[in-house]
Amino acid sequence: MIPEEIKQEIRAIVGPDHVLDSELNRFGYSYDASFVPLLPANKPDLVVRPLTTDEVSRIMVVACEHEIPVTPRGAASGRTGGSIPLKGGISLALDRMTRIIELDLRNMMVTAEAGVRTIDLYNHCAEKGLFFPPDPASWKFSTIGGNVAENSGGMRAVKYGVTKNYVMGLEVVLADGAILRTGGKAIKNVTGYDLTSLFTGSEGTLGVVTRALFRLIPMPKRRGTLQVMFRTLDDGCRTIHTVLQSGVVPAAAEIMDRTCLEVVSRHRKTELDPEVGACIIIEIDGDDDAALETQTKRIGEAAKACGAVAFRAARSEQEAEEIWAVRRGLSSAVAALAPNRIGEDISVPRDAFPEVVRRIAEISEKQGLPIAVYGHAGDGNLHPSILCDLSKPGEMERVHQAVDDIFAAALSVGGTLSGEHGIGITKRPYIASALGDIGVRTLKAIKAALDPKGILNPGKIW
Amino acid sequence: MDKRKDRDLLRKAGNMVSRCDRCGACLPVCPLFGVKGIEATSARGKNTIARALADGGIEPTGELLDVVNFCLLCRACVDTCPAKVPTDEAMVNVRQHLTDLAGGADGKYRLIGAILKRPGAVKAAAAALSILRRSGLNGLLPHGMAPEEYTRTHFLAAFAGPAALGQKAPPSAVTVTDRTKVAYFRGCGMEMMFPEAAAQTRDILRTTNRLVEKQNVCCGLPHLAHGLRGEFLSLARKNIRLFEEADVVVSDCASCGATLKHLSSFFADDPAWRERATTFSGKVMDLTEYLTKVGYEPRQRADAVFTYHDPCHLVRGQGITQPPRELLKAAGRFAEMKEADVCCGGAGSFHIDYPDAAAQILEKKRCNIEQTGAAVVVTGCPGCLIQLAKAAKASGGKFKAIHISQVI
Repeated sequence: MIPEEIKQEIRAIVGPDHVLDSELNRFGYSYDASFVPLLPANKPDLVVRPLTTDEVSRIMVVACEHEIPVTPRGAASGRTGGSIPLKGGISLALDRMTRIIELDLRNMMVTAEAGVRTIDLYNHCAEKGLFFPPDPASWKFSTIGGNVAENSGGMRAVKYGVTKNYVMGLEVVLADGAILRTGGKAIKNVTGYDLTSLFTGSEGTLGVVTRALFRLIPMPKRRGTLQVMFRTLDDGCRTIHTVLQSGVVPAAAEIMDRTCLEVVSRHRKTELDPEVGACIIIEIDGDDDAALETQTKRIGEAAKACGAVAFRAARSEQEAEEIWAVRRGLSSAVAALAPNRIGEDISVPRDAFPEVVRRIAEISEKQGLPIAVYGHAGDGNLHPSILCDLSKPGEMERVHQAVDDIFAAALSVGGTLSGEHGIGITKRPYIASALGDIGVRTLKAIKAALDPKGILNPGKIW
Repeated sequence: MDKRKDRDLLRKAGNMVSRCDRCGACLPVCPLFGVKGIEATSARGKNTIARALADGGIEPTGELLDVVNFCLLCRACVDTCPAKVPTDEAMVNVRQHLTDLAGGADGKYRLIGAILKRPGAVKAAAAALSILRRSGLNGLLPHGMAPEEYTRTHFLAAFAGPAALGQKAPPSAVTVTDRTKVAYFRGCGMEMMFPEAAAQTRDILRTTNRLVEKQNVCCGLPHLAHGLRGEFLSLARKNIRLFEEADVVVSDCASCGATLKHLSSFFADDPAWRERATTFSGKVMDLTEYLTKVGYEPRQRADAVFTYHDPCHLVRGQGITQPPRELLKAAGRFAEMKEADVCCGGAGSFHIDYPDAAAQILEKKRCNIEQTGAAVVVTGCPGCLIQLAKAAKASGGKFKAIHISQVI
């Protein structure tokens, strides 16, 4: 518990309206979008909602002095428990820090505070013809600080990379309240350690990201969306592989299995062709319609050669948006299929994608658990969702075994535990098998150097 | 107190919200989260709290009641939710559950004291109810004036607001001919607050068909919204019986219309009433839906720019967006406003219980209306009209707020 006088100190920093400590308000900050059980609740002792970097710094000074755990939080849309205040203390909600500080057109860079929603940043830049590519499925509600802290990926990673590929500099409040500024607008910059990269993806364990500088690229002039149906996931994977080998790099190439398609058709009240077992959704972009036509043609040929049963090109922006809305909502729609859903986020070398998909099907059969599969086939990142009912006797053990097997499958083909969700709480038990003892020891050494009291987001990653 | 039924409501709510995987898609569309920014005010927050209550992880306290009451029931979240979690239905069930607990003989719940203390906690007092049952009260307010302020008593005496209505009601399948018997459903809100508009509606209806006059009772929505389900069902039965001879029942109140169209779902487990309720719901139409069906042409074309506010109970309760716009385009010039389908903050008695939040939401609405340059904002719901009249006043005369039957 945080004593009243310390609460008063914090109220004086951010104003009494922005400090919450009632039972239900604390409960409201005890969860995120992960499958970490809701109960018993991981309630913070205090929710603090600062408006400025200076306020964050002063809060950290107080927290450091009294060794109070601090867990930074954006929209709590993370999938691994990153923003869950596992050890109580302060939930540091940055969602009031919503200013886009500067859009530098000449350097094609944008500076934004941590609480800016990803979509708002995208739209702000798009108005000036500039493109901020990282687009996690949650981009309409996730915040940019969380994207940086988790190094979020998204659909467009296949062509445009992930969040870290755009972070040029950061403003970070360190554990003792000091304000660190890393990187800058110089494109080439090897002065000192690459701290920008260190904090990107550090999951709030090394410092509180309060502001970020991103590079932008010119907005593609034309975009197109294709939807291709296949009998099997294998056919879909082969198509994407063939397309990439042929020199066409789609902006996004998403795959989903029969279970996912059934959810979608149930929601839309449409009939699903019994022959269809998989679907890929592809975004292409280019300078003009001719560029799109060439790509469409090549993808069409590859799809046909791989046994596609249906091929559809969106004819309007609205149609494209409908197709993508299905994909973005898939995670939550799949989650609603069963009392519990354990969603994973493994990432493998692109050419190992079909192999790992086959192994997941075997794991599903072996454990007798349905596993829905969808993901970013274009970049090797996939999200197997184990559908289960943890209240059933023996189910928990089977799920654990399935998760172990999925991770083992990913690691054995040269992949890793997490492509874009981070480790947080949910993948913590597996970190050593992915990184090895020396790897984990190195992480811990960095943590100890930057946060000697261990107050920043304790209990995460390892 | 029926303990079993009470647990049942909570279990139902628990089942609904257990489909929420807390992704956060509802956060940007929830008008209340938009002004407060605190998790417990969002749909995700309320659903998760309801889930923890159903799972026994948190206690039914006064704070909990505040959380579930602080919901517009506007369904913006449901529309956006990938899993279509019916937050509004869940909140109404939890409200009913808490009200039942408070009214129960079992004194162990801390809730009871809290309910008695909190303004607007038990949202429909017995005195107000007895007035509500006799609908068609007139003269409480100056004739034809859109009132700008209400006391709670006035309001409860007149009508209260939104409740959960499940999915969008399908359009009525009734074919209208010149022999169709059309009845007007007299909404409490329309009769009390906007009698001139109600009179206009009747005039318009008379130009289209023979009008069957009925003295109906309240649609029951205020009762349903605030934990008086028994009263709601009893009113519903009266109305179903009363309109048995009519072929079409037209409502010029979005909330009454949506409630009546959904009655069938409330009698699904009642063999004696199921069929009658389904027949009744099938013949209910919104005024604009009916007028479009009969090919009604506005009586005049005004030299004014109209804009239109979608009442939650029309756009999400009944799926009606185009008919009112088409009518307005035929009655004058039309300019679409930004976020026309976002709740105005009225939401029944919400704007009285939570005036600050309602005012913040309305302020956004006012800006959106002003941006269109329209002289008149039109809507089809007395609850919205009260809010919009306040916005009109705040705009310093830039626009007026009028019910659709008065401009077509």
